[in-house]
Amino acid sequence: MTPAEKTISIGNVLRADIRGFVVASRIPEPDVPTFGTFVRAPIQQGQADLIGLVYNISLQDDPFLKNLAVALDEDNPHYEEIIRDQRDNRAIPVEISVVAVGCREGDRTRYGLPPQPPMVLNRITVCSSAEVCEITRRPDFLRALLDNRDVPADELIPTALRRAAGLRPSEQRDAFYVDAGRYLARNLGRDPVRLERVLRRLELETDE
Amino acid sequence: MLHIERLQAALAELGQMAAQQAQQRTDDVTTALAWLEAAPPSASLREVLTPLAQQGLWPGALPATDAPLTARATAPDVPPTGTVLAAVDGSQIFPDRHAAVLYYLIQVGGLVFRYNGQTPEQHTRENLYFREDDLIDARGNVIAQERVGMRRLIHEMRFLAELTEAEKTTQQPLLALTDGPLLWPYPERGSEDALALRDYLAALTRIREAGALPIGYVDRPGGRYLLDLLWAGQLKPGEIADRLPDNPLQRLSDRWLMAHTLAPGERSAWFTRGNASQQRHTQARHEVWFCYGNLGQPGFPVIARVEVPAWVAQRDGAADTLHATLRHQAQVLNGYPYALARAHEIALVTTQDKLALEGALQQQLMAAGIVPRPSEKARQKSYLGKR
Repeated sequence: MTPAEKTISIGNVLRADIRGFVVASRIPEPDVPTFGTFVRAPIQQGQADLIGLVYNISLQDDPFLKNLAVALDEDNPHYEEIIRDQRDNRAIPVEISVVAVGCREGDRTRYGLPPQPPMVLNRITVCSSAEVCEITRRPDFLRALLDNRDVPADELIPTALRRAAGLRPSEQRDAFYVDAGRYLARNLGRDPVRLERVLRRLELETDE
Repeated sequence: MLHIERLQAALAELGQMAAQQAQQRTDDVTTALAWLEAAPPSASLREVLTPLAQQGLWPGALPATDAPLTARATAPDVPPTGTVLAAVDGSQIFPDRHAAVLYYLIQVGGLVFRYNGQTPEQHTRENLYFREDDLIDARGNVIAQERVGMRRLIHEMRFLAELTEAEKTTQQPLLALTDGPLLWPYPERGSEDALALRDYLAALTRIREAGALPIGYVDRPGGRYLLDLLWAGQLKPGEIADRLPDNPLQRLSDRWLMAHTLAPGERSAWFTRGNASQQRHTQARHEVWFCYGNLGQPGFPVIARVEVPAWVAQRDGAADTLHATLRHQAQVLNGYPYALARAHEIALVTTQDKLALEGALQQQLMAAGIVPRPSEKARQKSYLGKR
């Protein structure tokens, strides 16, 4: 972790299985992780960390807000303090879904499904830059995504690759992409349409 | 498992009974309205009833002023700019003798809402009770929920005192709002109760010294203090104490009458009560007065009982300011003050919070070499509760 980075806890595990978990969170909007964020959760009584990728963020129904939405008029100055309270103080409940891509046990990284899911109410934290670079050192972190039909892997892979590449020195990025592209070509060789779709999205992501 | 199909007859009877009660209520309201119009002057009612109240023979309302019982007042729907409203509510985890760890928790939450365009401030305070003195009563039993309720009320009032003291420098109206009656609701049965009431009144005094106006807000009030007063107006002075139980409007409550007399945005005359708690309040210069207010919309009355110390009700402009503030606060939540709803939300200890706290408590015990264990009953219930 660089000195400027801070540990961001995003919530507690609500439910989990071996392929991923869902986090319940009440954090203010600027701290809500984005699609493709690398996060970690303690597993095996804290002996290891599961590493995963955020693949879905859903805003939960909030009856309080729903009730207010009917009555409040944003332009009415009489309601200015109430609108500020809702925006600045009230963090709406968020469910963040994470897919497991590997785990870290001391200095060792294992790719694929972890030995066990995190326990309910375990605290989830956003990975530091160093942790992201380490888990993405080899493209094998993509394996769990390619095998998982329950997550939008074809969108998630380009986003994760772009995020990981952005944390590397510019002179290493091309090699990183080429390595990942070769891995995808090997694993999606029997599905050229999907391969092209993923590579095309990766190309679009890197163009942005 | 509940066999709802076996309850069909009872459910049908419940529906029929509700319809009959609604009809009876309409008739009763008509009677109450007639009594209200014909009520004797407030001063003469007070003259007759105050001695009875002092003897503990009159539980109903007493007119607090000479205004007629039919008096109504209104106020603007927005308070003056700069008004500050501190609202507090509390929640608790009750002690559970079946739990792995015996403890209880009170959390109070508050919202400071300033009418100056700024974001309101939210505050919380937690109090964990785990010592034997806090948990076990004189007979060796786990303390009753009522005792926790008393402590919660004291914490709420102290927290309100803290929040208002922090605002002390302001020259603007400063309101201190709490959810529930301001008049101490528990009977005084021993020294512990007396100490609790003393602490509560001390917090009320701090609020007064901070220049704030305490308000107790009772949503959907269930009492019939005013209806008893109207019944007394139908009786000869000498027969009031004996015939009080004969009030034919026993099944009605004041709010049904008020829903027919107060238009949206209006409040009633001020009343007071003469019970034992009131005497202690009065000794501490916090005699509590109350009025009813309609915070609803046309065709949808929302009646609340608003309790304040007499010195608030008598202060120039204070009643109008608190009335205007409550009107504004209630506009966006269908008749319930916004700041109180938020204070409740801030104070709320969720099931998830409780699980996290109990996990932390158990970790502490295990670190001390103690393996906590819930009762077998609690363990079994926790399995079934997950269904």
